[in-house]
Amino acid sequence: MAPSPFGYHGHCLRVDLSRGTSERTPLPERVLRQFLGGSGLGAWLLLEEGCAGADALAPEAPLAFVFSPLVGSPLTTSAKFAVVSKSPLTDRINDSLASSGFAIAGKRCGCDAIVVAGRAPELSTLIIDDGRIRLERAVDLRGATCGEAERALKARLGADYQVASIGPAGERGVRYATISHDGRHAGRGGSGAVLGAKNLKAVALRGTQRPAWAHPHELAEYSKALSKRSFGPATAKYRELGTASNLLAFNRLGVLPTRNFQTGTFEGASAISPEEIRQTRSRTRASCVTCTIGCEHIYALGDDEGVRIEYESLFALGSLCGVAEADVVLRASRLCDELGIDTISAGGTIAFAMECAERGWLDAPWLRFESGRAMLRAIELIARREGIGNLLAEGSRRAADAIGHGSRAIAPQVKGLEIPGYEPRALQTMALGFAVGARGADHNRSGAYEVDFSEKVDRRRVTVDAVRYAIETEDRAAIMDSLILCKFLRGVFGDFYAESAEMLRLVTGWDVAAAELRETARRIVGAKRRFNAFAGWTPEEDTLPDRFLETALEGDPAAALSRERLETLVAEYHRQRGW
Amino acid sequence: MRVEFMGIARERAGTAEVTFPAATLGQMLAMLSTRFPMLGDIVNGERLQPAFVANLNGDRFVSDPATPLVEDDSVLILSADAGG
Repeated sequence: MAPSPFGYHGHCLRVDLSRGTSERTPLPERVLRQFLGGSGLGAWLLLEEGCAGADALAPEAPLAFVFSPLVGSPLTTSAKFAVVSKSPLTDRINDSLASSGFAIAGKRCGCDAIVVAGRAPELSTLIIDDGRIRLERAVDLRGATCGEAERALKARLGADYQVASIGPAGERGVRYATISHDGRHAGRGGSGAVLGAKNLKAVALRGTQRPAWAHPHELAEYSKALSKRSFGPATAKYRELGTASNLLAFNRLGVLPTRNFQTGTFEGASAISPEEIRQTRSRTRASCVTCTIGCEHIYALGDDEGVRIEYESLFALGSLCGVAEADVVLRASRLCDELGIDTISAGGTIAFAMECAERGWLDAPWLRFESGRAMLRAIELIARREGIGNLLAEGSRRAADAIGHGSRAIAPQVKGLEIPGYEPRALQTMALGFAVGARGADHNRSGAYEVDFSEKVDRRRVTVDAVRYAIETEDRAAIMDSLILCKFLRGVFGDFYAESAEMLRLVTGWDVAAAELRETARRIVGAKRRFNAFAGWTPEEDTLPDRFLETALEGDPAAALSRERLETLVAEYHRQRGW
Repeated sequence: MRVEFMGIARERAGTAEVTFPAATLGQMLAMLSTRFPMLGDIVNGERLQPAFVANLNGDRFVSDPATPLVEDDSVLILSADAGG
């Protein structure tokens, strides 16, 4: 067998829960160089599994925890892992990222990825102890929140284990359930439901195996310099205020999605802004393992446990539902975290249901915009799949199909994934990014909003000139999600591809040039598209709901995106991609 | 004309907005750096540091110091990185 390349173990661990077997599968160096790790390697693994046609929640549909060449290194923000599977929400590829000790522990288990297939006979915990694998009953953890399960397993197995777990939502197959580790979530696309369908409450890892680095001394020096740069102005926003500082700026620019994307300004924005929230609550900061940015801002909520506040949670559970009560939004965010539910999809689906109820399409008069109590109740019902919660647990697209009345037009989703907090009509490069995203409407796999927040385009009247920018941001995200590094670091790099190539060289010893990484990015984006094609994707999916294409944004008539213009942008995107 | 500070810029300035006359974006930024020395890591002479952007009236983003301003204009100063 060929020796492993520096930075890698050179194989993945494949666990079949139905058969109770496991095997180590070699990962050729050629493949590792072509797909790197994280999202890229995950896409390749899923293609190799040949499972694109399977139901996402079927036993044969695999789920992969994928690590990366940089994880375990001293490079800031590199302790990240990807969870890659077919999404039960979109029926397309899904790659969700999360951070911290689980990534390092996974790599120390002596593999570059853990592929889980099959279904355990009862609710279980998959335990990998330095490469030794076993299943333990977890029926006593049924119904436990993400945090309760993690704490219970660490108490039972030992504090040196790192645990990723699902909450009640994942057990009950909520299609946007998350996988949680240390309070952070692989949040989008329903990977928690996939794990739940495999009868896995949690995965617990510990290990001691570390691959060697090609140039350890240079890597240490480079890492120190990068950490120093990470303290500069490019990351000040994340360090000092967190992503939540977007809220008031987006509201001022009229791009803050409000009341199910009916308008782009929210009269209650101030009340739920971090600037206001911190006036009356204590705040602490935290960061992932190895991270020097520290973007997590945790606010007190009347008890010992704080709430991590992110822009996406504030928007989805605040303005999108018309809720202006800060306490309620914080409670809703924490509730989603505990139950293991993606806040964006939860807020999007509830806001959609609120509008349906308002229009008389849904018999739920209690579920109305501005009602924090109704939103909290809806979240609880979704996690339990009780009453209307059973419908809303399916996500807005499936719920719209059940509700009828042409409600698909106002279901805020692309390919089934609820749209994050960037109003597409007023940020039209982002609209294109949402439309063509392999996993649906996605601000993490396409940073096209960066272009809209610049002089490069007129954000309300974007032309085909914007397509190359959208492709650039998507390609850059593909590399960051495969190396893996946190995107909050992106402003620190002068020449992103050259610096990424240098980091990869220091870890692996490969003589990688920036041009090769640009090709790698396109290969990774293409691999995701290939999986989707096998799963049934057609070009017609690359669009937005009718609301965005038929009506201008309320209060901003210039923010209009015609169907013809979006189709032109998408066609040009496909042409430039060679699809 | 009015300057509105968002996010980190508001943190540094210690106020949400300020009003004073300026004929161009460059003039406005130069006056800001004089009046608010704590904006040193945001404003560099007649330009913004690369991590920050200026938006005119909530509409278009501007950077040319020669960009003309009129009395009713509002210039927003915010982080260039809109990642959430």
